[in-house]
Amino acid sequence: MEPNEATTAQPTAPQPLLALENVTVSYGHVNALKNASIQVFKGEIVVLIGANGAGKTTLLETALGINTPVSGRISFKGEPIGGVAVDRNVRAGVCLVPEGRGIFASMSVLDNLLLGAHNNMKNAGKHRERVYEWFPILKKREHQIARTLSGGERQMLAIGRALMSSPELIMVDEPSIGLAPIVVNDIFSIIRMLNQEGYTILLSEQNANKALKCAHRGYVLETGTVALSGTATHLLNDPGVREAYLGA
Amino acid sequence: MEVFIAQVINGISLGSIYLLLVTGFNLLLLVAMIIHFAYPQVVVLSMYIIWLVLGYTGNNLLLGTLAGVASSILLNLISAPLFQKVMEKRGEVDINSTMVVSMGMGMIITDVLSHGFNKGHPIAFPDTLAGGDAIVRIGLISILPGQVYAFGVGVVAVSAFFWLLYKTRPGRAFRAIAEDPSGARLVGIPLLKTGLQSYALSGLLGGLIALLLAALLGSASSALGEQVAIKVIAVSIIAGLGNLVGGLVVGLSLGIVEAVVQGYISGTWSNVIAFVIMLVVILAKPNGLFGLKI
Repeated sequence: MEPNEATTAQPTAPQPLLALENVTVSYGHVNALKNASIQVFKGEIVVLIGANGAGKTTLLETALGINTPVSGRISFKGEPIGGVAVDRNVRAGVCLVPEGRGIFASMSVLDNLLLGAHNNMKNAGKHRERVYEWFPILKKREHQIARTLSGGERQMLAIGRALMSSPELIMVDEPSIGLAPIVVNDIFSIIRMLNQEGYTILLSEQNANKALKCAHRGYVLETGTVALSGTATHLLNDPGVREAYLGA
Repeated sequence: MEVFIAQVINGISLGSIYLLLVTGFNLLLLVAMIIHFAYPQVVVLSMYIIWLVLGYTGNNLLLGTLAGVASSILLNLISAPLFQKVMEKRGEVDINSTMVVSMGMGMIITDVLSHGFNKGHPIAFPDTLAGGDAIVRIGLISILPGQVYAFGVGVVAVSAFFWLLYKTRPGRAFRAIAEDPSGARLVGIPLLKTGLQSYALSGLLGGLIALLLAALLGSASSALGEQVAIKVIAVSIIAGLGNLVGGLVVGLSLGIVEAVVQGYISGTWSNVIAFVIMLVVILAKPNGLFGLKI
């Protein structure tokens, strides 16, 4: 279990879009992340695999600026962002689609989208048109209260809201949780489509099989440390991963 | 019947003030996430500042108005760091501790007003502000200019407030924080900055309320803030804490109930009866008539 193993098996791209180096985050006396290092390069889909409580959400939220690391470095496009306020990171191009979507249920679909553009209102109209092109159902539901949306529609709204901030890196926390299998397939095709449109994606998933089939590379988190990393194919064929996360 | 109509008119103007106060209180509760029990006391402090400025400028209404609004906004903004310090670990700290800070602030204001201004005597506002003679008078029914201002400004201020809340970018951020503060933070809404905007907005409302109270009552005393503060928090709880629409309805109703009781029984009983009614309501509906929104 080498903490730095993650950095050894990288493609030769010069500078990662997002890099965490030996990041430790603690909640009181509990270390939620211990010396975790990951890198995400432009154009990639990277997936974090791990059980409940392995630190996936903590890692994503730390990259967004919710938690300040006790030690270690976080950088986005080479700039250090450890401990920087969330709204500044969102402005810089990082965003998170939270687990359980984080939709504002009492507000309209349009209001939810505009909240995503809070720091970028100038381009809100343009971005909204693109979101409606990709998710026509959201245009149809524009003035409905978000509470009335189905699970899949809420996930689309949460992704659409993220796109409103004109991000470069979209982090998606547990996109498949609570969704019917057929809808899960839709969500993963949306993620692939966004990646082809040029967005870099960092996912966290308990549904390791589907996530690895969609991703380029992955990291396995165990109790706050990076236990294993490699290309998605490598991880899919790893006996340990197969036994622990793929049920094989 | 004439008494009834006359008192309903009185009640509507008094209720307009209550509902504005409750709106400012609820805004701070929802967006800054504080229980600002002493918000009405800050408003009364602004009334004293209006009185001072009117005295120094030979009753210049424009300067008095500006001083009232500016002082109220300023007082709200400078108290913000105090509350935010208490709220630093807002996830873990009990919101009730902000109420203690606020009550302390209220006591200081009350004491300063009773020692530092007009030798502790109640202050009287000039007729130019209170508006002088009745506009309409039919038998017992009369409508005073102060009552018209209170109701008119109340309608305009509430409409403008809801327009801001539902149609503008800061309003959208207010609603997002009110619904889910940590979710709002995740999408990149700056909690501190947006919270400060709510302090400023409730300060603006407070300044208007100070003017209306001066016009409606024609006088003020250091104890006024405390009396009103108890009613404002009661209205907010009866309506459902943080329920903006509920606060409008219950605030207006309280004003009318108080005035009608005054018309038929006695002024000294109006508080007792209003609070007995509220007690019954809160026993029957512990979450308030319109439901909690926090």
